[in-house]
Amino acid sequence: MVQAKAQRESSPLLSVRNLRTSFQVEGRWTRVLNDVSFEIGNRQTLAVVGESGSGKSVTAMSIMRLLPPATSRIEGEVLFRGRDLLKLPSEEMRRIRGSDIAMIFQETSLNPVYTIGFHMVETLRQHRNLSAAEARREAVALLDKVRIPSAASRLDDYAHQFSGGMRQRVMIAIALACNPKLLIADEPTTALDVTIQAQILQTLRDLQAEEDMSILFITHDMGVVAEMSDRTIVMYHGDAVEEGETRRIFAAPGAPYTRSLLAAVPRLGEMAESPGPSRFPVIDRATGAVVTPAASGSVPDGSAPIVLQVEDLVKRFDIHGGTFGGLTGRVHAVEKVSFDIREGETLSLVGESGCGKSTTGRTIMGLTSPTGGSVRMEGREIGSLGRRELRMTRRRMQMIFQDPISSLNARMTVGAAIAEPFLVHKLGGKAQARDKVAYLLERVGLRPDMANRYPHEFSGGQRQRISLARALILDPKLIIADESVSALDVSVKAQVINLMLDLQSQLKLSYLFISHDMAVVERVSHRVAVMYLGEIVEIGARAAVFGNPQHPYTRKLLSAVPVADPDQRGQRRVEAGELKSPVRAVDFVPPGREYREVSAGHWVQLADNRSW
Amino acid sequence: MTQVPDQTPIPAAGPVGGATRGPWARVARDFARSPLAMTALVVLALVVLAAVFAPLLTPQNPYDLMQLDIMDGMLEPGSPSAAGGYTYLLGTDDQGRDLFSAILYGLRISLSVGVVAALVAALVGASLGLFAAYVGGRTETAIMRLVDLQLSFPSILVALMILAFLGKGVQNVVLALIIVEWASYARTARGTALVESRREYIQAADCLGVPMSRIIFRHLLPNCLPPLIVMATIQVARAISLEATLSFLGLGVPVTEPSLGLLISNGYQYLLSGQYWLSFYPGIALLVTIVAINLVGDQFRDVFNPKGRG
Repeated sequence: MVQAKAQRESSPLLSVRNLRTSFQVEGRWTRVLNDVSFEIGNRQTLAVVGESGSGKSVTAMSIMRLLPPATSRIEGEVLFRGRDLLKLPSEEMRRIRGSDIAMIFQETSLNPVYTIGFHMVETLRQHRNLSAAEARREAVALLDKVRIPSAASRLDDYAHQFSGGMRQRVMIAIALACNPKLLIADEPTTALDVTIQAQILQTLRDLQAEEDMSILFITHDMGVVAEMSDRTIVMYHGDAVEEGETRRIFAAPGAPYTRSLLAAVPRLGEMAESPGPSRFPVIDRATGAVVTPAASGSVPDGSAPIVLQVEDLVKRFDIHGGTFGGLTGRVHAVEKVSFDIREGETLSLVGESGCGKSTTGRTIMGLTSPTGGSVRMEGREIGSLGRRELRMTRRRMQMIFQDPISSLNARMTVGAAIAEPFLVHKLGGKAQARDKVAYLLERVGLRPDMANRYPHEFSGGQRQRISLARALILDPKLIIADESVSALDVSVKAQVINLMLDLQSQLKLSYLFISHDMAVVERVSHRVAVMYLGEIVEIGARAAVFGNPQHPYTRKLLSAVPVADPDQRGQRRVEAGELKSPVRAVDFVPPGREYREVSAGHWVQLADNRSW
Repeated sequence: MTQVPDQTPIPAAGPVGGATRGPWARVARDFARSPLAMTALVVLALVVLAAVFAPLLTPQNPYDLMQLDIMDGMLEPGSPSAAGGYTYLLGTDDQGRDLFSAILYGLRISLSVGVVAALVAALVGASLGLFAAYVGGRTETAIMRLVDLQLSFPSILVALMILAFLGKGVQNVVLALIIVEWASYARTARGTALVESRREYIQAADCLGVPMSRIIFRHLLPNCLPPLIVMATIQVARAISLEATLSFLGLGVPVTEPSLGLLISNGYQYLLSGQYWLSFYPGIALLVTIVAINLVGDQFRDVFNPKGRG
């Protein structure tokens, strides 16, 4: 008896052997998982990491048997506490789901017409046979457990009354309702801001210790892996290319693919020594050999001419409401933002969602008209220009968008899309346009004969290259990149960034790089401006802002970034808190702000008594 | 499928096939997947060809009185003509008019009225809808309230009022149908354009200094076409049936240019006295045409709507 118990203690909680999953696509069976095997011990966290299409989510869905049985086939063994889940009758499997094994996803799946309490009470009564009153008490206890402030009073709120981070906490609380032994978390923090992500990760870690459960953590983010997991599996095209202790994988990656993946991950703090941006090293994913080593990008000298000058830029959006559609408030999206960018320089705007960084870019570009302030492009005030001159000046700056799918017209060939601005600005004839398109396609690493294809034939990274080529055809001086690499996989992201850096040094381009990703920003920028609620709270040389952050919000942001280095885990704690809203009453007058110069060119907003 | 090797180290190279195909080629391929829709398309093509080449396919011109023989009046389907030479496949009416010929000639009127009305309505409605969406503000409100007003009246009522005012005639029927139908195109076009104009490629075109008219016609319109094509197809069928209804009620096309609806109406009085064929066969022709158009339209909707595919 005692022996049997001991044996159960030592045997792994979940042991997956030769898991093979195939999908039926148009009548043919296609293998998407090849003999994946791993084990998760008690209280262990296993991370499954990989890029899109690597099969990491399919692994989780296969374990839970959540794939449609008609079009999918799962083979192998999934032993959960010694029982093979793949052989259980579906009725029994349903009982295990949600009680012994719980799952949380990237998108929270709360029905908007029911209260949070309803969701939780329903789950508790179903799985644990509690009375209504008991279930309610238990629900409050669970919300407390996932650190939702004043849990009892929030039980009767609806999902939309919670922020994204709070909703994810509710989902975790529901998952915990039946004391699961295993929690499968599929990209649970991908849609969240970094500070919120840090809080959720911390909560998960704390809960793991309290609840004595194991976690299967699926993610694409090496930083999150380093932060969370004891063991890691690296997936690539349906194969587990490497499995092992997380520390070991980061310190000495064995598989060539792991090596190339890790090389493409920016690590916060690794750039402290160099003043300029730096290319990612390129590593062959088949052999693991270094193709091109990391290299520093160019650094413009102080005498380079100023390309863009933004002064006291203000953008507010009116909110109308009430019976007669009167003005009820204003969104202070951008509040007195000033900066300038020199030739060949990259200035990054960083901040979390809703901080006004995208609106700043769009206002500079003229996609929305500013409420106040001035934007000067190469010395010419944009607001004062006539239509014709405005068009001429606009040619000098271009924008690259986030979504590689929707930023190209699906019904135009790539060549026609790139050539269009050239032709409508009458910069030359059709033959010249064709030559220039071919030249630019080569320049961004594609082939000239690809001009006759349609956007759907290209991958996300290739489409961002096409967008770059389209922006470059007007020979701009400044490119505004609005989260341009955020939607790309790690390795593709590294390649597009390398391309952007190459173009910068060859063409003396200036970039306004708008991003929420601190690690990428550290890699690409010369200077950084941190935005919070529409204002720049800190601006300066990249090395100064990252190395010597002065503003409390900058510090908070930096400490929230998961660092792709397991040795640095758990050294930082992030205070719980939500991003405040930039919506103000109609008569709100923004307070005057003062800035202090920390070192040459490094300015920080004097903190008021807001809590950060 | 030959995999094109990527020169650059882009691992996630898309599924790049050998031949390049535009979005419309994909539509054609997806369309051909449904045998039912393909059958409907073939039937529709046959109907259209029959209508276009009616003079070559019919034994007589049913509206040339010189070719009619009063002695052949009210013959049952399959009767031989008195003068010999041909068989009245679908019978004759009281004036000895061959019903098969009358149906093919009627199809010409019905189809051309339906197609012209639906296309002109689509052109007018879609332009107004796109314009409203892109311009916004008061113009948009004015156009869209007009649409609401138009759509709040039953279409048959509006058409009857217009025809009562203008009198019979093919042009008047077409005009009435356009006035009845433009509003729904405008609403659909505006809805789609509102969604599309927020997409990044429209903003990108804005950034690149592409002029407004070009943005509307080169970028916005082609991407708003799918729902409009579906609608236009189904509206052709609706226009044909509405025209048939109007003609049946005696307010549609004149007797000299009889459509299928008018044929049905003419035969209606004989329906209970044994001469069923006078209404029955034109009715079948109308039914087949409308069902075929609707099936084609349904398939278009499935092809264009990725969510509809299971």
